[in-house]
Amino acid sequence: MGVNFRRQKAMGDEISTASMSDIAFLLLIFFLVSTIFNQEQGLPMTLPGQASETARISQKNILNIDVQANNLVYLDDVRFGVTQIENEIRRRIVANPKLIVQLRVHPEAFYGTMVDVLDEVQLAEAKKISIKGLEVVR
Amino acid sequence: MATGSKFQRKSNVGQRIPTSSMADIAFLLLVFFMVTTIFKLEDGLPVEMPKAEAGIQIPRERVSHIWIDRLGNISINDKLMHPEQIEGVIYKKLVENPNLIVAFNTDKQTPFDIVDEVMEELKQANATRVSFTADFERRGS
Repeated sequence: MGVNFRRQKAMGDEISTASMSDIAFLLLIFFLVSTIFNQEQGLPMTLPGQASETARISQKNILNIDVQANNLVYLDDVRFGVTQIENEIRRRIVANPKLIVQLRVHPEAFYGTMVDVLDEVQLAEAKKISIKGLEVVR
Repeated sequence: MATGSKFQRKSNVGQRIPTSSMADIAFLLLVFFMVTTIFKLEDGLPVEMPKAEAGIQIPRERVSHIWIDRLGNISINDKLMHPEQIEGVIYKKLVENPNLIVAFNTDKQTPFDIVDEVMEELKQANATRVSFTADFERRGS
């Protein structure tokens, strides 16, 4: 064979790097879009401070929500389902704008139930909320 | 195809896109992630958060977390502690940051008496701004 193949000069290892910037930007956009900044959500409350005196409040301005040891919820001694609480509280606040919602939780009740009830109370936009442990008669 | 005439074919269409800026991009990316990466500050305790709808975003800088798990172990800043010690620890934090918000990261099955004890301690330390952490879930009542 007399044909002379024109040898290609050994090209200095040049892989086309034109697409690398594409990859860089794709990666950047991927992370931009998928980065989640870990933000917690919670139900805010203001506790009474050390200095606060126990104010005297008329009984009729207090709504007692009791969470018993079996995690059942009673509004003024009437059994309620957790999801019904919001509407009931709204009704009561309309009837008595000075209403204070007092949430009493039995020491053996679950914290989760308290949060459920507090959630409902805050959804009902009650502004005066108090949380305390239910006195247990032994 | 032309007959006869020889086209000088350019065999090399200039493949060289100037890639000199790639180093810039690489370093920009690097600096961006270096600056925005938040290292997990606390491990806390394994806790199953309750769900709530009425929650609000709490600004991260002002929060101290109190972790209480199902068994009643209390952890602040990754240190297990007894309820009586809480007042001192929180008081110190309050001195550094008067706007402190204390977040309860508490398991939903924790018995309430522990939470009540911790709340009493917080009242004594005068840390009145409190938040009950809960994952968002629409309740639909």
